[in-house]
Amino acid sequence: MLKVPEHQVAGHIASDGKLGPLVDDEGRFFKPLQGDSRGEHESNFYESFTSNKKVPDHIHRYFPVYHGTQLVEASDGSGKLPHLVLDDVVSGYSNPSVMDVKIGSRTWYPDVSEGYFKKCIKKDRETTTVSLGFRVSGFKIFDHQESSFWRAEKKLVLGYNADGARLALRKFVSSNSPADSNLTPPNCAFASEVYGGSNGILVQLLELKDWFETQTLYHFNSCSILMIYENESILMKGGDDDDVQAARAQVKLVDFAHVLDGNGVIDHNFLGGLCSFIKFIKDILLSVDKRHETETSPLENGN
Amino acid sequence: MQLKVPEHQVAGHIAKDGKPGPLVDDKGRFFKPLQGDSRGENEVKFYESFATNTEVPDHIRRFFPVYHGTQAVEGSDGAAMIVLENLLADYSKPSVMDVKMGSRTWYPDASEEYVQKCLKKDTDTTTASAGFRISGFEVYDHKESSFWKPERKLLRGLKVDGARLTLRKFVSSNSLSDMGSKPDSAFVSSVYGGSNGVLTQLLELKTWFENQTLYHFNSCSILMVYENESILKGNDDDARPQVKLVDFAHGNDDDARPQVKLVDFAHVLDGNGVIDHNFLGGLCSFINFLRDILQSPDESAES
Repeated sequence: MLKVPEHQVAGHIASDGKLGPLVDDEGRFFKPLQGDSRGEHESNFYESFTSNKKVPDHIHRYFPVYHGTQLVEASDGSGKLPHLVLDDVVSGYSNPSVMDVKIGSRTWYPDVSEGYFKKCIKKDRETTTVSLGFRVSGFKIFDHQESSFWRAEKKLVLGYNADGARLALRKFVSSNSPADSNLTPPNCAFASEVYGGSNGILVQLLELKDWFETQTLYHFNSCSILMIYENESILMKGGDDDDVQAARAQVKLVDFAHVLDGNGVIDHNFLGGLCSFIKFIKDILLSVDKRHETETSPLENGN
Repeated sequence: MQLKVPEHQVAGHIAKDGKPGPLVDDKGRFFKPLQGDSRGENEVKFYESFATNTEVPDHIRRFFPVYHGTQAVEGSDGAAMIVLENLLADYSKPSVMDVKMGSRTWYPDASEEYVQKCLKKDTDTTTASAGFRISGFEVYDHKESSFWKPERKLLRGLKVDGARLTLRKFVSSNSLSDMGSKPDSAFVSSVYGGSNGVLTQLLELKTWFENQTLYHFNSCSILMVYENESILKGNDDDARPQVKLVDFAHGNDDDARPQVKLVDFAHVLDGNGVIDHNFLGGLCSFINFLRDILQSPDESAES
């Protein structure tokens, strides 16, 4: 039985009879092949990537596992359509918080149509893409206060400036209610577990960065980084020493409809944006460390 | 004070049609006219800020021209000129190349006209595709025993392979004006490589750019300079590249004295807590080009 994924934060959503991805109960994700050859393009990428010996083993973990294409009953009732079959990256999680960040200071690329170029550059300039080198596309977090998921409004997210993006990244790892953060700043309660640590988001991003400094295989135009972590373990936290691994923070690259050959040049667009994103995460971790120092300092500072 | 036109200006404005161009004196100083439309003012503002900014690490200052304030100069109608260190003063026969860094030369908040002008140039050159473009260069042609400078038109039409070829030519000893000849990359190790070479210096800059949020170096160039005089001293009448290499290897690695400098700060803006991801992405791409050339000096293209 195929159903609409619960934790989709960006991209096309299969609801109200619209065409979108589906999941089964065996951890598989079915993504309809997009029109205008984008779908074909994406499956070509997966085929190439899966068998490309030049991709180091330790980099494969950052990409969804590909299982070919399959004819599946489309979510909009239009009959059987070819779908990409992937591992569902959130299937191992009970209550995952998820954020989609589109990486790169431009989403267009050389040789695109004039129309597509104009559409992309307009959006890039209206969002933080041009200024920060990335933009938050969407996110949903588990609200520990309400014991339910809170999803950021798309219009709000696309209207972010640098401060908005920073705030979203802090909210993403906070335990106080995301709905009223206009009054209370996000507490970044899970920043160290999710962003930090020997297996956290930052370490994974740095590993990706190393690869991007030399890989000339692919240019990941318009791709996103998905950040996922588990809230279930945090909910059950009660003096358990197993906390460090419990968040199981994961970085995945997704959306390969516009990937092109690298042709001997590194993906400097993605890399620049990735480095900027890394700095934002680093700054959050630093501010949490500083706060921790202040709180545990023997000196009273009148806070 | 005797002022004259600099010999080795490779890019940027030159004295033309009664408009002042840069000048040099015999005391190692370079006089740059302030550009109109507040660009000159912006450049002065940058130099003043940079000179006194305690957040700039000492070891990074070597990559910037020393600033000596502004001065009204005779013959320039009392217009102020920026007084800088003449970067070529200590070289007898310098080969010089100007590389504009970044996959875009425009920036948010620039006028629409400026954005469109830059976009066109960025997409017509290797800026958008490679993350940098070669603005100009002048090389000592060892075969002809004279300096050779390509036509500006030639440079503007360069694509990625042409840029790669040009970077090899920059460190070659065989005839440069012959566009069909394969460059011998005779000086690649002593200019690009080595513990004081261009690549080492660029890597130092890269580390700083991964963290510094002080300035965004929009439209800035990296200047590469090296000395040919010492290479000439090792020259026999029948000098063949192999002989030169051997002589060079026995000589002092500092003989070529390769130097990297950042120049042209008319469009520098505050970083505002964000790294200069545009410059950084382009810098990483440039670094990769040089690395490829160092690893395979005889190949004319990487797969």
